[in-house]
Amino acid sequence: MSYKANTGHPHATPNFRNLVIRPMWMTLKTALRTVPFVGKLSFLKNNYHGKPATMIDATTMLRVGSNHPSVGQSFTPDRETSQVMPFVERPVTVMYPYERLEDLEPWLFVPGNYNGRIGIIWETCTACKACVRACPNDCLHMTSEVRVNVLELAEEEDDNHGYGEELEEGGYAAREKGDYDGIASGFDLVNAHADAPQQYDFAEVIELTGDKATVRWSDGSGIETIDSSTLKPAEQDIVSGQIDIGRCMFCGLCAEACPFESFFMTNEYDGMAEFSREELWMDASRTRVLPAVHQERVDMELAKRAKKEQKKRDRKAARAEA
Amino acid sequence: MASSDWLDVVGWSESFSSWSMDNVHNILPSSDIDMQMTIPSTWAWQEPITLGPIFNMQSGFASIQPALESFMHATIMCTVVFTTMMLTMLAIPYIERKFIGRLMDRLGATTTLRSLWVGESGVTAGEWWKQLPFGIGVPIGWVVKALNSTWGNSHELETIARVNNRSYHGYWFLLPGFFQAFADFMKFATKEHIVPKNADKVVFEVAPVIILATTVMVFAFVPFGPHIYAANPELSLLFMMAIFGIAPLGVFFAGWASNNKYTLIGGMRSAAQLTAYEIPLLITVLGVAILSGSFNIIEIVDFQMGQDQGNVWNIFLMPLGALLFLVTMIAEVERIPFDMPEAEAELVEGWWTEYGGIRWGLMFAAEYMRSYAACILFALFFLGGWEAPFQHTLSGLPAVGGVFTIVFSLTPGMIWVLLKAWLLFAVFVWIRASLHRVRTDQILEFGWRYLLPLSMLHLVIAVILRLQFWTGEPWELWVPAAVTLVSVGLFVILAIDEDKEALEIQRRPYSTQAVVKASPGSHRSRR
Repeated sequence: MSYKANTGHPHATPNFRNLVIRPMWMTLKTALRTVPFVGKLSFLKNNYHGKPATMIDATTMLRVGSNHPSVGQSFTPDRETSQVMPFVERPVTVMYPYERLEDLEPWLFVPGNYNGRIGIIWETCTACKACVRACPNDCLHMTSEVRVNVLELAEEEDDNHGYGEELEEGGYAAREKGDYDGIASGFDLVNAHADAPQQYDFAEVIELTGDKATVRWSDGSGIETIDSSTLKPAEQDIVSGQIDIGRCMFCGLCAEACPFESFFMTNEYDGMAEFSREELWMDASRTRVLPAVHQERVDMELAKRAKKEQKKRDRKAARAEA
Repeated sequence: MASSDWLDVVGWSESFSSWSMDNVHNILPSSDIDMQMTIPSTWAWQEPITLGPIFNMQSGFASIQPALESFMHATIMCTVVFTTMMLTMLAIPYIERKFIGRLMDRLGATTTLRSLWVGESGVTAGEWWKQLPFGIGVPIGWVVKALNSTWGNSHELETIARVNNRSYHGYWFLLPGFFQAFADFMKFATKEHIVPKNADKVVFEVAPVIILATTVMVFAFVPFGPHIYAANPELSLLFMMAIFGIAPLGVFFAGWASNNKYTLIGGMRSAAQLTAYEIPLLITVLGVAILSGSFNIIEIVDFQMGQDQGNVWNIFLMPLGALLFLVTMIAEVERIPFDMPEAEAELVEGWWTEYGGIRWGLMFAAEYMRSYAACILFALFFLGGWEAPFQHTLSGLPAVGGVFTIVFSLTPGMIWVLLKAWLLFAVFVWIRASLHRVRTDQILEFGWRYLLPLSMLHLVIAVILRLQFWTGEPWELWVPAAVTLVSVGLFVILAIDEDKEALEIQRRPYSTQAVVKASPGSHRSRR
């Protein structure tokens, strides 16, 4: 009884309601569904059986068009329990992955106590690669490079202007190479088979005093103190962060290694089966998690309320018309 | 005033016993039978010596007639009660099977007995009735053939549908299963009796006897109606509870004697569990006895019904007591969630792992007998026993009251007891389907930290109700109404309670869900 659950799910807290009342109500509901006539009451019915099913996501829908066989399907209807009482129905199948047990009956799921798919809050990632070093299976891959973020440096009135960036001690700086424009114009972006040639010399900023900046050049040419007006701020950016989830053993050492609280093991248990090993390379978009707690559920709830409100207004309008 | 109905089995048995014994008395010769022999006096003895008695069979019989009558009466009543118990208990496993299937969303298949009759997919057990001696199976053959031609299934799909719980369950989808117990008994009775090599053989054989005997003996004191009981001593409640508590000892014997680690753990758990629930159970029952002012079960029922003694069922006066009794009785009969001694998920079959054949079958029957007894006791202690719900209110209605009076007087009280007990057992099954098995430490903590103080509280409530509010008259209705309302309110508060603060503390600083859900095609859309 003094047991404290490590869970944030309201249906997974071991209190009297969740341990006794809720399971007893669930089983009673299941039993009542098999009773003639009573079982037809709306509060006993699931809201998905026999209803239209959306089987593909919007992007795929755009690609395959509305002629696709998956369009226009509906979930399995409730099933008759016997020929004697055909009016008694009973739901059976959960149409995974189009519908999920954790959505239909979330109380069956105790989140938080297992390692699922890797999740990363990329916004707070600093590309320190502590996770890559910690990974025993070599499944984490991160490429980063020091570069000038032209969007951050755009003019104030530019649409792409970011928060702006300034030189700082311990950060990176870049100086345009001699024939800066010549390098850019001599490179054919479309047909090139090699990387774009570097237009900058990069350096670490050691000290900033007034207009002067002391920098250590990355090409090994030593320390130099120059005018800071000749320098642009540069930063270490993540070029790609990929995870070969096929190699991952979900040990969670990467999450432990992260000093910035941006690497987590989520509770996603699916989406890790593909037709080839290459498809198991997950890029950043598939590992992204939101820093907010249950953002998704909040959105779902808001959408539901909006729908309800809309319905109410429609009904009011209809009544006013009549 | 003792409650009464027309099904006066005890009275019939008594009058039949005395009638038959009177007749025996009357047909015996009333004249003296002189078997005296006199040895005339000789030189050695002066007086003639008279040896042997003068029989009078009638008067001799008259001196033992009361004892014989009560023996005959007790034999009849024991037989009646035992038969009633066994026959009405058929409904218990039936409820268990049928209701659990509905609660757990599976209707299940009961094929054992049906396979003798219908067979599956057209494959039957053959004409097995021809094996029976003296041709007694011939009528069975007629019945089976008739059933088969009418309701038999011949297609494989029908069998598969039934076993896999698809739509087809046959036209008699309810009835199969009611007599499953007979099929089970036949199976167990014909099985080999195996004693483990290193078992303590004497204790191994004695343990089932202890369990079964004490379980059956419980029913000696359980009245099925106002006039259907085997024994009705003044302190029947104490007798009954004492005997109820013996079976766990047999469980411990069985677990130890089997010389098997699973059975031993099961037996130990049974003993540990015993300390947790037995004391709260007895205190709860004591509260019932205090409120009713009697240790006699029939008087406890009388206290709840009738025009003279009471008008309110105990459950409305002691909802807490009813809840405690339910919980502790579930622990006493070792059903889920308190079935740790059995715990088939961990301990194979728990303390009876090593038993097989008819011993296993009888101990299984004993389990159900104990559950059944618990249900009947709940009905007697808290649900007014053999009184119909709202019997006196309905009978007092202005227009239709007369009809109700006639119906209630025609319905024997046993019907109500059985209905209430079966309904209670459905609740047991409901709990079994819903809750999980607790651990040993959890039931100990639950018993000592919650059940025991609550049962003491219940005792205090019972004493206060008896001393302060009970006047010997029917209850003023505000008393049970107030008690029930307060209890229901507390229960609702407990039921909807959620520790919001704890939830807040345990919240994670990040989402446990990925933004991109895996769904068909999602791994392609990112390319």
